[in-house]
Amino acid sequence: MLSNGDWLALWVSIQLAFVTVLLLLLICTPLAWVMARRRWPGQALLEATLALPLVLPPSVLGFYLLLLLGPNGPGGWIGDLAGLRSLAFSFPGLVIGSVVYSLPFVLQPLKNAIANLEEDQLAMAAVCGAGPLDRFCSLVFPQARLGYLSAAMLGFAHTLGEFGVVLMIGGSLPGETRVASVALYEHVEAGDYANAHRLALVLLVASLLMLWGLFRWQRQRTSGSWL
Amino acid sequence: MSLEFAIKGRAGTLSVEASGKLPDNGVTVLFGPSGTGKSTLLRMLAGLHACEGMIRFDDEAWQDEPAKTVLPVWQRPLGMLLQHPTLFHHLSVRGNIQYVQKRRGKGVNLEAIIEETRIGHLLDRAVHKLSGGEAQRVALARALVGNPELLLLDEPLSAVDLPHRESLLAMIQRVAQKVPVLYVTHSLDELLLLADQVWLMDQGRLTAQGPVTTALVSLTGPLAQRSDASSMLSGVCGSFDEADHLQTVLVDGAAFMVPLAQAKPEGALVRLRIAARDVSLCRVQPMQSSILNIHPVTVQEVTPTGAGQHLVKLALHSQTLLARLSSRSVRELNIMVGESLFAQVKAAALV
Repeated sequence: MLSNGDWLALWVSIQLAFVTVLLLLLICTPLAWVMARRRWPGQALLEATLALPLVLPPSVLGFYLLLLLGPNGPGGWIGDLAGLRSLAFSFPGLVIGSVVYSLPFVLQPLKNAIANLEEDQLAMAAVCGAGPLDRFCSLVFPQARLGYLSAAMLGFAHTLGEFGVVLMIGGSLPGETRVASVALYEHVEAGDYANAHRLALVLLVASLLMLWGLFRWQRQRTSGSWL
Repeated sequence: MSLEFAIKGRAGTLSVEASGKLPDNGVTVLFGPSGTGKSTLLRMLAGLHACEGMIRFDDEAWQDEPAKTVLPVWQRPLGMLLQHPTLFHHLSVRGNIQYVQKRRGKGVNLEAIIEETRIGHLLDRAVHKLSGGEAQRVALARALVGNPELLLLDEPLSAVDLPHRESLLAMIQRVAQKVPVLYVTHSLDELLLLADQVWLMDQGRLTAQGPVTTALVSLTGPLAQRSDASSMLSGVCGSFDEADHLQTVLVDGAAFMVPLAQAKPEGALVRLRIAARDVSLCRVQPMQSSILNIHPVTVQEVTPTGAGQHLVKLALHSQTLLARLSSRSVRELNIMVGESLFAQVKAAALV
């Protein structure tokens, strides 16, 4: 099966995806709320900016992130505080990069789910005595749960599949920034096709399983059979 | 005084500006054509629609202009029904009831409310499997479980099919004996059945506030201008004639015969609706008439309403009757304010 190094790379990928999704759910909840339920000046520009990772070559994104996170950018002195030379080539740096890179994949489903909430449901929850946080936990989250699941799955799968950005800002430190996709790239570069095959297959099957599970769940949800 | 307010705000292009005091109990019907801001006013009072001004409830400021305090909706002790039942669709019926019970249902008699609203058999149902009437009953139960000190009802019957409206109205009437109710509708039937007080609304303004009996017979008001203008008499049920299906209703001692399928208990308080077009006037007491209800009345007011018609306001003891006559009859009979005449009531119905 996989070599120890590849298992480690896979483990870094999973950690990265997990932390990224968690952060993105926290960031995107208020963001999706103000985008879906409010109108304000500059909204379209911000939405376009946040959607850029969908269309930009990851290397463009990686390049700017490298400047931002590197020792001469703000990442340098933030890294200093944490005892790092810079945020680039570190796990925290990868997390920042992944958050930017996967943001639209989490934001979009959340935005749709929150836009679909009925105003009167929220109003009646307030009339029933629920304050804002209470309303979020007891009404918004359960009614938008499909959106949250889609967002989490897409964000996770997309972060696992990240390559260009991590190549630019990650380096390839085993156990720290060497993720599965980069490890695969290095196997191919080294002509080690046997290991490349195994790792590629694992990534392929894992991604397929995740998306398959998501689509199955969505189908069941929309046919209403589990209600 | 339970609720007192002087507020203004906007809903789209309509500016809503209103002030008033809600009686301590009974149903106050907020009446007016569609699009005049009734729902907006209700939502402003609830705190669901932003507005400026003052709202006080039982000496507590819900909103205060100079102090800029606004008590948030979830801290106001009110219950609300909207046009659509708006049950939480991710919860069962029981879940909906528990939602409010957990938050403000301290010491509430849940059993009694479930019994009163007849939702016991629905508790384990999914919300989307309820009919319109069932859903609105659950919504009423949910509102009552929250121990409301004020009920705001926004056309609660609009999603309820006809046969189920009556029972829901009866429930609302019983609730109103304990809790003040502000009830938005544009249906005259609902107004006649429920209203103790009427607030008339037109183009974002409250144009009149007063007892329903007064509002109905105010000749310059919008209710008397309608083709189905009616007056309402309060009475006490007397005997019931089984053979002819006639119920006697005593209105200040004057006996009205009302056709009815089933007897009402003697002594029950009822309301009689009498359409103005079903009342005619005679100078002398008609004899051998087919009309059962003939009573002496005094003319209080005579007003032309255009199109060859007049409205005549009549005192029947302490209550008021409305008659719509042709202008020619008014002229030929020479009907003058202060005269005593006989009113023939062709049809009276219990509401």
